[in-house]
Amino acid sequence: MIKLSHVSKRYPNGHEALKDVSFDLAAGEMAFLAGHSGAGKSTLFKLITRIEKPTSGQIIVDNQNLSRMRSSKVPALRREIGVIFQDHKLLFDRSVFDNVALPLIVIGLPHDEIQKRVRAALGKVGLSGKEKQYPVTLSGGEQQRVGIARAVINRPNILLADEPTGNLDEALSDEIIDIFADFNQVGVTVLIATHDLRQVERLNKRTIHLVQGQLVENAISSGKSEVE
Amino acid sequence: MGTYIARHLQVLFATLGDLRRTPMSTINTLLIIAITLLLPCLLYVTVKSAQTLSDSWEGRPQISIFLKKEISDDTATLIFEEVKLHPSIELAEFVTPEQALAEFKVLSKGEANLEQELAFLGENPLPPSIVVMPDKASAKSEKLIALKDELSQFDGIESVRLDLDWTDRFNAMLLVFSRVAMLLSGLLALGLILIVGNTIKLLIFNRRHEIEITKLVGGTDTFVRRPFLYYGTLFGLLGSIISLGLLLGAASLVAQPLNQLAELYQSNGLIHQVTALEMLAVVLVGSLLGWLAARWSVAQHLRDIQPK
Ligand SMILES: Nc1ncnc2c1ncn2[C@@H]1O[C@H](COP(=O)(O)OP(=O)(O)OP(=O)(O)O)[C@@H](O)[C@H]1O
Ligand SMILES: [Mg+2]
Repeated sequence: MIKLSHVSKRYPNGHEALKDVSFDLAAGEMAFLAGHSGAGKSTLFKLITRIEKPTSGQIIVDNQNLSRMRSSKVPALRREIGVIFQDHKLLFDRSVFDNVALPLIVIGLPHDEIQKRVRAALGKVGLSGKEKQYPVTLSGGEQQRVGIARAVINRPNILLADEPTGNLDEALSDEIIDIFADFNQVGVTVLIATHDLRQVERLNKRTIHLVQGQLVENAISSGKSEVE
Repeated sequence: MGTYIARHLQVLFATLGDLRRTPMSTINTLLIIAITLLLPCLLYVTVKSAQTLSDSWEGRPQISIFLKKEISDDTATLIFEEVKLHPSIELAEFVTPEQALAEFKVLSKGEANLEQELAFLGENPLPPSIVVMPDKASAKSEKLIALKDELSQFDGIESVRLDLDWTDRFNAMLLVFSRVAMLLSGLLALGLILIVGNTIKLLIFNRRHEIEITKLVGGTDTFVRRPFLYYGTLFGLLGSIISLGLLLGAASLVAQPLNQLAELYQSNGLIHQVTALEMLAVVLVGSLLGWLAARWSVAQHLRDIQPK
């Protein structure tokens, strides 16, 4: 579903955020993307969603080669991928409802259908009844969950989550990661960038490690011993 | 199709809501647009009014035929009959030297030394004359000149004068004026596009964050630009409606003194009445210019806003 071959990314300021990264995430697979701060996790997500273009290498998402993709096809790609951004990327002058509904509004779904789906998504992340509030009136964790609801609302084939549990306590973190696992159960390909080794251990999924922009380990972790 | 229209209506109402939420800047923008549009409208009404005025003259140009002073009354009557029977002439009126003098006295009333000079001359210095009005077919300038030349050949006629020299001059000036007005209107249309384009640019930058996020969740360029096109079109539409209101207000302000003037000249309606079709044209042109301005602004600035 997501295939990177020899991908490097050098930012305009000369910083090389990713160096010769290759991996293949099969359709329906769930994996963690681990790595210290500045290792290049967010950069990797930006390449997959074509927010950035790689300096070299090839990225194939759902059989589409991103380097050859015309910019007019980018919206269709992004509709296929639900992204939870590290900095939430919420609209602060819009209600929770409008924020979560945005991916459905851009595809022009009828209003009643949008309403139904937004309710369901907010229920799933434990934010029922907060539709009319504005993001500023929410806690950091609640804002993060608005972002999660927005990412899953369009039933994407791929979920990318950048530090989705960064602001959440353990119980809530477990709940959120379990939501992702549920999506994975029904066939969604899931990639979660996290520092939270507890989740990595708890779920016992494949883990991709980045160290200073390089892939150093690409193994199915089989318990605590290998993660440590 | 239904959802397509629903989507457009939704953007339309959202944009109207946005305009209402910032009343001061909306009113500012609309007034600037209205005043920019008002000038070409005023020029148009002026040109149109002047054209109607000149058309109303063109129906009755006059030719004054001055007879030789020394001819007898009988000869004069003979010439008058001959002129009257000319196929191109509809009306002819004989003016005796006495009538001419009386008219002259009325016109120069109050100018004491002129009267004294007339008295000094002792006899009436004015010749008999015939004032004629050619028929409609001969009222065109070229034909009038031919008629004038023909009349000049008559025995006993001293000179022939066309009373249209100044209408011709008026028409020529009107042509120049309407050309200048067109040029000015074109420039103002360009100015309008720049003004609306700049306003849209500011709106785009104010909504930068929203545009980025919309693109992140898969919003197409068409989707992202749609509200701004509505902004531009609505600015043009509402601005031109206000402009029409100002135009009609201005017209009714000058209408009263102008109509008094018109009564003096026994003509009616000096000022051009703006028709419903013309109003529709103003609104359409205004909306189109607003839309064009938005297209231009969006093409320039939306591409640069990409998620980071
Ligand atoms: N737009 C940019 N221009 C230049 N350098 C950048 C840019 N974005 C990121 N970087 C650099 O690239 C490196 C990788 O950044 P990235 O955001 O991918 O790290 P990360 O793994 O997501 O870190 P964190 O866990 O703190 O979020 C960092 O050293 C960062 O300074
Ligand atoms: Mg990051």
